[in-house]
Amino acid sequence: MPNAIFFPLPTGERLTGWRDRLVRSNALVADAVQQVRRDFYDSFDGRLSRTGTMLEHERGAHGGELRLRVCDGQRVRAALAWDTEVPRFPAALAPGELRRVLEKRLGPRALLPLASVRLRRFNLRAVDAEDKTRVRVRVESLGLRDSQGRFRVLRKHLCVQPLRGYSKDAQRIVSCLEQDHGLRPLCADLCALILTAAGSHPLDNSAVRAVSLRADMRADAAARRVLQAQLADMQAQEPGLIADLDSEFLHDFRIAVRRSRSLLGELKRLFPRSVQQRFGDDFAWLSAVTSEARDLDVYLLNFAAYRRAVPARLRPGLDPLQALLRDKRQRVHSEQLAVQLQSRRYRAFKQRWQDYLDRPLARRPTAPEAAKPLGAVVRRRSWRRYRRILRQGARIGPESPAEELHGLRKACKKLRYLLDSFAALYPPADLEAAIRILKKLQNNLGEIQDLEVQGVALNRFAMELRRRGEYNANTGAAVAALLETLQRRKTQAREAFETRFRRFARAGNQRLFRRLLKPESAEPPR
Amino acid sequence: MITLACYNIKGGVGKTASAVNLAYLAALGGARTLLWDLDAQGAASFYFRVKARVKGGSRGLLRRKRKLEAAIKATDYPRLDLLPADFSYRNLDLLLQQQRKPGTRLRKLIKPLRGDYDYLFLDCPPGITLASENVFAAADALLVPTIPTTLALRTLEQLAAFCGDQGYPGLRLLPFFSMVDRRKQLQREIVARPDGLLKKPALGSIPYATEVEQMGLRRAPLETFGRAGAAATAYRQLWAQLQRALASP
Repeated sequence: MPNAIFFPLPTGERLTGWRDRLVRSNALVADAVQQVRRDFYDSFDGRLSRTGTMLEHERGAHGGELRLRVCDGQRVRAALAWDTEVPRFPAALAPGELRRVLEKRLGPRALLPLASVRLRRFNLRAVDAEDKTRVRVRVESLGLRDSQGRFRVLRKHLCVQPLRGYSKDAQRIVSCLEQDHGLRPLCADLCALILTAAGSHPLDNSAVRAVSLRADMRADAAARRVLQAQLADMQAQEPGLIADLDSEFLHDFRIAVRRSRSLLGELKRLFPRSVQQRFGDDFAWLSAVTSEARDLDVYLLNFAAYRRAVPARLRPGLDPLQALLRDKRQRVHSEQLAVQLQSRRYRAFKQRWQDYLDRPLARRPTAPEAAKPLGAVVRRRSWRRYRRILRQGARIGPESPAEELHGLRKACKKLRYLLDSFAALYPPADLEAAIRILKKLQNNLGEIQDLEVQGVALNRFAMELRRRGEYNANTGAAVAALLETLQRRKTQAREAFETRFRRFARAGNQRLFRRLLKPESAEPPR
Repeated sequence: MITLACYNIKGGVGKTASAVNLAYLAALGGARTLLWDLDAQGAASFYFRVKARVKGGSRGLLRRKRKLEAAIKATDYPRLDLLPADFSYRNLDLLLQQQRKPGTRLRKLIKPLRGDYDYLFLDCPPGITLASENVFAAADALLVPTIPTTLALRTLEQLAAFCGDQGYPGLRLLPFFSMVDRRKQLQREIVARPDGLLKKPALGSIPYATEVEQMGLRRAPLETFGRAGAAATAYRQLWAQLQRALASP
C-alpha cells in the first residue's frame, strides 16, 4: 500500500466541518463516525522500534486487529484479526506472517504496552461508477491517555490514503487540499510523535549506555563511569525482573553484575583492596543468587531445540521434564530471586556501591594505578589478558579436563568485557575485527560448557522426576535420546576446539591484537 | 510468498468463487494477499468491481514491457490486491509458445512479488494447456474444487497422474469438494467416504448455495454479506484446514 499523506489540522477545528467540506468539494462518500482505541506495544529494549516498526492493537465496534506498522510512512507490514488482550509473547498468536515476524524480531522478549490513544474518525471515500473505492480519506482526532487514564487531544489531521493502482485519484484530493484549503502535508513519524508525547520511548531503555571516555583521563575516574553505567543497567532491569515480564531482564541484569565484578577484578590496581574485596563479594553473591533462575531460563528457552533433538515419537516423553522445569523456575523466581532483589542486603549494597562511585576522587589515591592515564592502564591489562589466553589455549589438548576449557572461557569473557567497556579507546574497525575473532572462540567454548552443564543437569532433573513418581518409560527413552544427542554435540564441539583456537591464534590475528592492545604500540590509543 | 492456484481441468466447478473467498479470508486474517485473475472472462475482476483490462495486455506483461506490479489494483478490502484479467489472456498459450523456456515464464514473472505478499492466489481458466503448465510450475499448491461426481473424480485422478508424470517437484495437490448438492444421494455418498479425494480425506466441502451465486449480484466476497450462511462457514473451515495443510510438511 502506498504511504499515507497527513495534513495536520488546528486542534480547535471541528472534524465534522472538514468532513462536510470534503464531501461537498470532492464528491466523497462519508461512512459513519468511528471510535477506536489503539494501544502501542514494543519490547523493553525497543526491538521493534529499532527496526522502524511498532505493534499496534486497534479495537472498535468492528472488532480488533493487531498490526505491525512501519513507522515511517505508516505502511502495515503484517496484521492479524485479534479481538482479545494482546499476549505477552507472540507464540500465543495464531500462526501467520505477523507471528513469524514478531517472533524473529522479539526473540525471548515480551511485548509491553507503551502508550494508548483514542481515535475519533470519519472515513471518506471517492468511488467510481462501479462503486469501487479509489481513494480513502480519514478525518481524525487523536487523543492520548495520560497517567490518570483521561484522554487529551494530541493532534487532529486529515489523512489521504492512496490505493494501489489509483494514484491519480489520491493526487487529485491532495492538490485540492493544498490549493483550495491551503493545507500543507507533514512528513511525520506518527508512532514517534505518540511515544514521545507519552514519554515512553522504548529505545530510552537500551541496555547499551554510551559512556564518554578519553585515553588521557584518570583511570579510576573512567572505571567509575563505566561501573556507574553498569549499576544503572542493573537498576533498569529490576522492575521487569521482579515482575517476571521476560527472561531477558534477568539475563541483562546478570551481564551488568558480571561485567562489574570482572572489571573490579581486572582493574584491581585502580581500587583500594578493601573496596575490591567488599564489593567483589557482593557481586559474587548477586551472581550466585541469580544463577539457578538463569540456568532454568536457558533450559526452557532451549526446550524447543531439545524436542527437535529427539525422534518425533519420543517427544511427548519430554513433557514431564518441561513441566518440572517450569515449576522449578516459578518457585526459584518467586521464592528466591524476587525476594533477594527486594531484600535489605541488596538495597544496602546498592546504596554503598552508589555512594562509593559518587565519592570524590582521592587526590593521592592508595591504589597504585588509580591516577594513571586510562589508555595505558587498559591496554596493559587487556594485552596481558590476551597473552594469557594464548598460553592457556595452547596448553589444552584432546585429553584436557573440562575445567581447563572453562578456565579459558572465563579468561576470554574477561578480555571481552574489557574491550566492550572501553570500546571508545580503540579504532572501531580494528576493535570490531578483534571482537569478531574472539567471539568465534567464545561461541565454541560456550557451547562446550553449556552442553557439559546441561548433560549433568538433565540427569539431575530425571532423578528428581523419578523421586516425584513422574518418570515413566516414555520419559526415560526421551531423556536418554536427548542426553545422547547432547553428548554427540559436545564431542563435536570439543573436536572443533582445536581448529577454532588455531584460527584465533594464527599470526594475522595475533598482529591485529598486538596492534590494538600492546602498550608499546606505535599508534597510541585515541 | 505462498502461491495457491485454484484450478480444475473442468469449468464451472467454483474456481473463481473459491479464489475470491479464500483470498478475502487470507487478507482478513492479516496476510498481504494478491489475487491474479488469469481467466480472460474476468469474473474475479468483476466481483471486485475492477475493470478486466491490463495496459499492454498479456503481450506487454510477458515481454516485460510493463511491470507486473504496475498492473496491480487495490480492492475495497485491506491488504487484498487484484491483478485484473484482460481479454488478451485468451491468447496466453500462443504468446507463451513464443517465449524462451515457455513452461516457467509465469514463475519468473511473479518472482519480484515475493517480498510484497504473503499469499498469491491464481484464478485459473479450465483445461490443460501451456498456461496451466505454467501455473503448475509457479504454484506451491493446486486447490482443486471438485464436484462429487464420478466423472469429476476421474478428471481429478487424470490431473494427479499428469502432474506426477510431468514432475512438478514441490507442487501439492489439495482437492476439496465444491458445489455439493446435499439433495443428491450419490454426492452425499461420495462426500461421506473417508478416502473421498485421491484416497485422502477431503480438505473441505463447499455446499451448493444461492449465496454463492449472489456474489455476482453484490459483487463482493461471501463473508461481507452472507457470513452466517452455510457456504461462508464452509469457506472459513476450508481456509483454516488449508492453513493447517500448508503448515504441515
